[in-house]
Amino acid sequence: MIDTLLSVFRISLKAIMANKMRAALTSLGIVIGVAAVITMLAVGSGTQQSMNERFARFGTNILYLRQPWDLDETISSPEDVTMDDVRAIRRVEDVVSAAPYISSGFSVKYGYTSTSIDVLATDTDIFKTYDWEIASGRTFNEHEVDTYAQVAVLGDTVAKTIFNDLDPIGKTVIFNEIPFTVVGVMKKSGQGGWGFDMDEGTLIPYTTGKVKMDTGWKSTSRRALDQVIIRVKDINTIEETKEAITNTVRNTHKIHPLAKDDFQLDDMASWIEQAKAASKTMGILLGVIGAVSLLVGGIGVMNIMLVSVTERTREIGIRMAIGATSADIRLQFLAEAVTLSCFGGLIGVALGVGIALFVANHAENIPAQLSIASIFISFGFSAATGIFFGFYPAYKASKLTPIDALRYE
Amino acid sequence: MSLIETTDLYKTYTIGDVSVHALQGVSISIERGEFVAVMGPSGSGKSTFMNILGCLDKPTSGKYILDGIDVTATNLSKLAGVRNRKIGFVFQGFNLISRTTALENVELPMVYNHTPSGQRRKKALEALEAVGLSQRAHHMPNQLSGGQQQRVAIARSLVCDAPIIFADEPTGNLDTKMSIEVMDLFTRLNKEMGKTIILITHEPDIAQYAGRLVTFRDGQKVSDEVRK
Repeated sequence: MIDTLLSVFRISLKAIMANKMRAALTSLGIVIGVAAVITMLAVGSGTQQSMNERFARFGTNILYLRQPWDLDETISSPEDVTMDDVRAIRRVEDVVSAAPYISSGFSVKYGYTSTSIDVLATDTDIFKTYDWEIASGRTFNEHEVDTYAQVAVLGDTVAKTIFNDLDPIGKTVIFNEIPFTVVGVMKKSGQGGWGFDMDEGTLIPYTTGKVKMDTGWKSTSRRALDQVIIRVKDINTIEETKEAITNTVRNTHKIHPLAKDDFQLDDMASWIEQAKAASKTMGILLGVIGAVSLLVGGIGVMNIMLVSVTERTREIGIRMAIGATSADIRLQFLAEAVTLSCFGGLIGVALGVGIALFVANHAENIPAQLSIASIFISFGFSAATGIFFGFYPAYKASKLTPIDALRYE
Repeated sequence: MSLIETTDLYKTYTIGDVSVHALQGVSISIERGEFVAVMGPSGSGKSTFMNILGCLDKPTSGKYILDGIDVTATNLSKLAGVRNRKIGFVFQGFNLISRTTALENVELPMVYNHTPSGQRRKKALEALEAVGLSQRAHHMPNQLSGGQQQRVAIARSLVCDAPIIFADEPTGNLDTKMSIEVMDLFTRLNKEMGKTIILITHEPDIAQYAGRLVTFRDGQKVSDEVRK
């Protein structure tokens, strides 16, 4: 049995090698399909893993309050999110901390070194909200926030870029012409959060930012915050806490009981949903590309196998004359179709692995994680395509009668 | 019992509204070890007769017993096995499979009866030896002369130890010298290996090699003579 299969496979290989160019072009669709499937699976599982890592680091007990980016048209004069909201939220039960959050990009100078960084204007609650740790020096304090002090806490990467081996503590750096004294440097935290990466950024008191650097901020209102970052104590009662916060903010914004919210309160779960939806969309897109390519590739295989059956009608007749049964002929052509599509599958696997590795190493925004299973799955798809689309030509070949096949010119 | 026994074979083809009566009641019996030449003008039904004897086609009516097997009552997939074990074919156009070495061509019938590959190789080499082509085992058909290709085809017809060889105009594409070589080979297979050979030809000199001459005309056997 194995012996017979080996012979059948050898014959298939020979038939395919006789038309190398044709085989290569025919399997191109399969190549693209398989490569797309592997890339899809790699990006899918990579995204999943990186999301899990991020959420694990951030914790799910963080809430984000902001004015919606796509504000409902029916809300004519939305209230800004301000420090009044922050102060009110801090009084809500189960809220650990609530920090104002205004961020913008600035250039920073020290001596002749300059670089651009994200500056986050906030207050001392930020240190209670996020699990950032101080590496040297200290965080700024409430007194400094209240007195518009020009002090800054640098991220790890920023400190290394500007100061190299120098001790940054006590040095003066210039943000947009305004001098700030470095009071502390944060420990490296790894990839940051949503929109703000502590390693690449700098923290300053929001008061200083609002008053002294006003022209630099995007916001039109002097009081407006980009966001409020809230930490809650108990993840299990997060829904109740969210409701309490919502009511509090509706109160400070003086929203009529029947009117809609003019703000948006998100937790990690909604971020997770959004991120999942995005990665799912990408997965579906790649999946569709893969499926369409495999379909087109499969039709190509079928087409070329039909041509092959016609071209080799006489050969089929000879084989039948010397003892091949219909089943033998069917197996033969099916094996050829499968060999052809598996050949495409192998190249597709190589290409897909190449793309996935390239993406994993070079594209920072698209995490990719290659798994052995995905290689087998996509290769399996190519074999299945061969069987599915090879069946009809093989069936057609097997239905020939030896006498008609031998007479065929 | 005769090796081949046909009774009242009829074959009618219908093409559109026209019916062609290719065979009209042919009865013949051929013994083991005979060398039979079948002659007749084109359209005489000799090829149809040959195809039916070779189990490539079935008669419209009549009975055909081949080595004790009732071919007319056997279904097509079983006939493949009958062809494989009982019959070797040699065609006018050689009908070797291109891009496949002489050796692999000879091995092919054994692929279909699931002979293990080691034994396949051995028997194929023996068959090539028997037709004097062991030196050419690894040549492709297009690297061989017509006579050599026909000898490869003969080796292929021997390899499953089938008792019968059907040769359909085997010298039709060969020059005189090669024809003589091929016919001498058939004679030897008949004499030395006891193969039953049934040869279709329209050349009287080729028919001379056979011990029995059957002539067809208009779908019927018109003469059947045994030479001394």
